[in-house]
Amino acid sequence: MELVECEWCRVQSQPGTSTCPTCGAPLDVANLVSDSGWREAPRMRDMAQFRFSSSSVQVEGTIVPVAEVNLAQGDSVYFEHHVMLWKDAHTPLVAYNVPGGARRSLAGMPHVVTVAYGPGRIAFSREAPGELVVLPLAAGVEIDVREHAFVVASHTTSYSFIRIKGLTNLLHGGNGMYIDRFITGAEPGVVMLHGNGNVFERYLQPGERIQVEPGGFLYKDASVQMNTVQLDVKTGMFSRGLYVAEFVGPGRLGIQSMYHHHGSD
Amino acid sequence: MTAGTGVEYTCRYCRLRSELGDGHAACPHCGARVDLRHVVSESGWVEQPPIADMTRIQFGRSYVQVEGDVVPVADFKLAEGDSVYFSHHALLWSETDVRITNHPNASGWKRFLSGMPSYMLDAAGPGRVGVSDNHAGEVIAVPLPMGGAIWVREHRFLAATGNIDYTFVRTGLWYQTGSGDDRETHHPVGTYDDVFSAQGGPGLLLLHAPGNTFIRDLAPGETIHVQPRSLLYKDLSVWMGLHVESPRTTGWSTWRRNWQLRTMFLRLVGPGRVAVHSVFENELEGERITGGQYTHQQW
Repeated sequence: MELVECEWCRVQSQPGTSTCPTCGAPLDVANLVSDSGWREAPRMRDMAQFRFSSSSVQVEGTIVPVAEVNLAQGDSVYFEHHVMLWKDAHTPLVAYNVPGGARRSLAGMPHVVTVAYGPGRIAFSREAPGELVVLPLAAGVEIDVREHAFVVASHTTSYSFIRIKGLTNLLHGGNGMYIDRFITGAEPGVVMLHGNGNVFERYLQPGERIQVEPGGFLYKDASVQMNTVQLDVKTGMFSRGLYVAEFVGPGRLGIQSMYHHHGSD
Repeated sequence: MTAGTGVEYTCRYCRLRSELGDGHAACPHCGARVDLRHVVSESGWVEQPPIADMTRIQFGRSYVQVEGDVVPVADFKLAEGDSVYFSHHALLWSETDVRITNHPNASGWKRFLSGMPSYMLDAAGPGRVGVSDNHAGEVIAVPLPMGGAIWVREHRFLAATGNIDYTFVRTGLWYQTGSGDDRETHHPVGTYDDVFSAQGGPGLLLLHAPGNTFIRDLAPGETIHVQPRSLLYKDLSVWMGLHVESPRTTGWSTWRRNWQLRTMFLRLVGPGRVAVHSVFENELEGERITGGQYTHQQW
């Protein structure tokens, strides 16, 4: 009996399954890949469900999707408190201090994340039309995510942040001072992001480069390098130089099509 | 004529003729699906169908692929010698070997003063470049035949092929509120708007419309009133002017009918095609109009 492989997360499922049990992607819809190599994030069906640990997630809505988590006993998820849409009255919440919190506060990032413990239900959403991107992480994986894109992550994923290095990257990179980093240890985990507009992903080969509007960056594998480069063009009456983020493989790169422009208004 | 294999097809939306071969699901000039039911409201507005995900539109030896359905991306594959131009705000990504330079643009100072993008970028092939807007909506492809021209409201331009000429014109549509030192001048459709024309040969113009897009063809003398900031594009033959309507009121609210209850419209008079989009900002209300060029209807 031949198993069905999810084109998004590569996990195999039993034949006849229409939704990937690990990421919620439809299994009976082929990947949409542009001629230029960008793969669209799978558009999850309304009410699609997937699992992590002993818990499950249901994705509701198509304009600003909601991730509704049904937490089992012993499982937990963490999130920035302002993305919580609703929760059961009996679901306990605990504040968790992120190391280096003062520096994050100065950079305008949340320095406290909130942890919800099962059993109970809790739901999350961001505030813009877009897509919920589900990234199941195998054991020992590191991914970097732009600030304010993170929705919720499972307890088996550790959360930290890295300071963007280099003054040019910091001042003109359009990604703030820090990038969120999620790491899995011995166990797999899942991270859910919100991408504004549509979300596209591509795999950069070793040494392959691509330039992206800094506000379009959404996530990348930790192995992908990010630098800021300046294009020598006039962008205003008194300004010259358009800053773009240049990514160098190997690894995955995710972008969002609706973004906030930085640096040359 | 119905669409099918090897048949001549005239697109309902861009009105250009083409020969549809095997596998042609969309108009090769504007990307509109050929197998869709024509959706027309009882009032005569034709719903512009969204360009289906991953549809390709050919121009010259290059093409653009439209990707996504929330905030679609226009992904250009440029052949050697072909180019497109766009506002630098619209650049989403590019391959490193695409040559990006400034697009020649006269009178940038006037555009700068009116809050329009004063500098645009040229991307020259060979290579790939992706552009997108910053609102949920649709990419609208407007193929211009040789000699064709179209008026586009400010900030709705996404990208155009290098052979399309671009200029901007003063709208001349304004009104004032306040008095003395507090007097403020408003331009509901912008101080300047864009005019695109294809003089040297056919070209492709891409616009971004927030929300859904609707089009209609106005007969000579036919008039319609629309929200000023909902207008997407119009034929140059369509006349436009500002028009204010105040509802008939009774009782205590009569005293404020002249300003607080008034509605500012854009009056469009045919002949020609107009297009509106469904997400727009309302014109200011609640302020008394103290000057300007507009007609007024008191009901």
